[in-house]
Amino acid sequence: MGEIDRIAEIMHSYKQDPRYLLALLLDIQESENHISTEAMRAVARYLGVSESRVYAVATFYRTLSLKKKGRKIIRVCMGTACHLRGSAAVLHELEKGLGIKVGEATEDGKYTLETVNCVGACALAPVVTCGDDSFGRMDPAKAAELITRGAFE
Amino acid sequence: MIEITINGTPIEVEKGTVLLHAAKENGVEIPTLCNHEGLNREGNCRLCSVEITENGRSKIVASCMFPVTRSISVETDNERVKRARRTVLQLLINRNPKSPVIQQLCSEYGVKREERFALEPDLCIRCGRCVRACETNGTKAIELVGRGFDRHVATPYETESDACIGCLSCATVCPTGKITYDESPGKRKIWHKEFDVLKCARCGIYFATKEMLDWAGRPENDRAYCDHCQKYIESVKFLTEHEQNK
Ligand code: SF4
Ligand code: SF4
Ligand code: FES
Ligand code: FES
Repeated sequence: MGEIDRIAEIMHSYKQDPRYLLALLLDIQESENHISTEAMRAVARYLGVSESRVYAVATFYRTLSLKKKGRKIIRVCMGTACHLRGSAAVLHELEKGLGIKVGEATEDGKYTLETVNCVGACALAPVVTCGDDSFGRMDPAKAAELITRGAFE
Repeated sequence: MIEITINGTPIEVEKGTVLLHAAKENGVEIPTLCNHEGLNREGNCRLCSVEITENGRSKIVASCMFPVTRSISVETDNERVKRARRTVLQLLINRNPKSPVIQQLCSEYGVKREERFALEPDLCIRCGRCVRACETNGTKAIELVGRGFDRHVATPYETESDACIGCLSCATVCPTGKITYDESPGKRKIWHKEFDVLKCARCGIYFATKEMLDWAGRPENDRAYCDHCQKYIESVKFLTEHEQNK
């Protein structure tokens, strides 16, 4: 089944009522790992809401993403402690090293770079996580090294 | 009718009148940003804050959202009200230093931009007037999208939208001048989309995009004249027929 068919199937499990907009988008996110423009168009038509409404909802919730996410998600903590200890520079370094901006996925579909607010390890600030791994006391040089030694693999 | 006092002056208003309108009708000006006659009220900006007192208890409310249903006394310009408005303006000027409306209001209220909280300047104050204008048209081509700091007005997928008819309502109601468009004889560009603008065969003004007339359901063979000339031509026709029938 292609994307279009899967989305059609998800849509038809809901009544054609605007109040199912969010639920539907969440299901599509779950199934497709992102919400494509085609998906938004189809949902707008199916529920009878404007495309601008669908786009507004799809861009509002953090769990929904318009771009395909990478298989692994690298998160840089931007909580207060991490922020004060320079997480912005760490993020910047990772953006450079991976060649993507925060919120984007790498070309090869391996990684998505995101920020997060406090992962509860403030003593180790600044913190970077990837899947179940976390890396503390980061600085730009150490972050660059994480990439070169394949710590996120 | 309900009797209320505004700044100590007793007035009578009809039940359900919006406080902002009641004040205006009685010559009391209250500053507003997101409010616009003819659009739904949303209470987004809180600049129209006033203090109401009822049974000895007072609170700040957004006057554009407050229907008068009981006898209350209202202060539209006391220290507490001014403080509330200053807070609103402070946040606005920090993000929006370049808009004349905001500058003007800030100088009235003695609010200065705090450089240490300065954000990247943006003309948009997210008042939602443009979105409501487009919604009132029924076109629904734009929305406030994104979240947090990224929140901004956009067409779906940030690109040319089938829904937009190029009517410029959004740009017209925008209080800050955020929404811009290009207009040259016969052409218009707004929200990533180019439109042909039709020229009136009588007076020569460029009066509407083809999409606007489609939206209004005006037949293809009846698009030569602007509204004004159309009416003129009809009335001349009516008068001549009238003469002939005499
Ligand atoms: S110009 Fe387009 S976006 Fe603006 S109000 Fe008209 S239809 Fe809506
Ligand atoms: S573009 Fe203008 S009207 Fe629309 S939300 Fe921004 S300031 Fe308000
Ligand atoms: S602020 Fe980063 S872990 Fe708490
Ligand atoms: S004018 Fe009342 S909240 Fe904006």
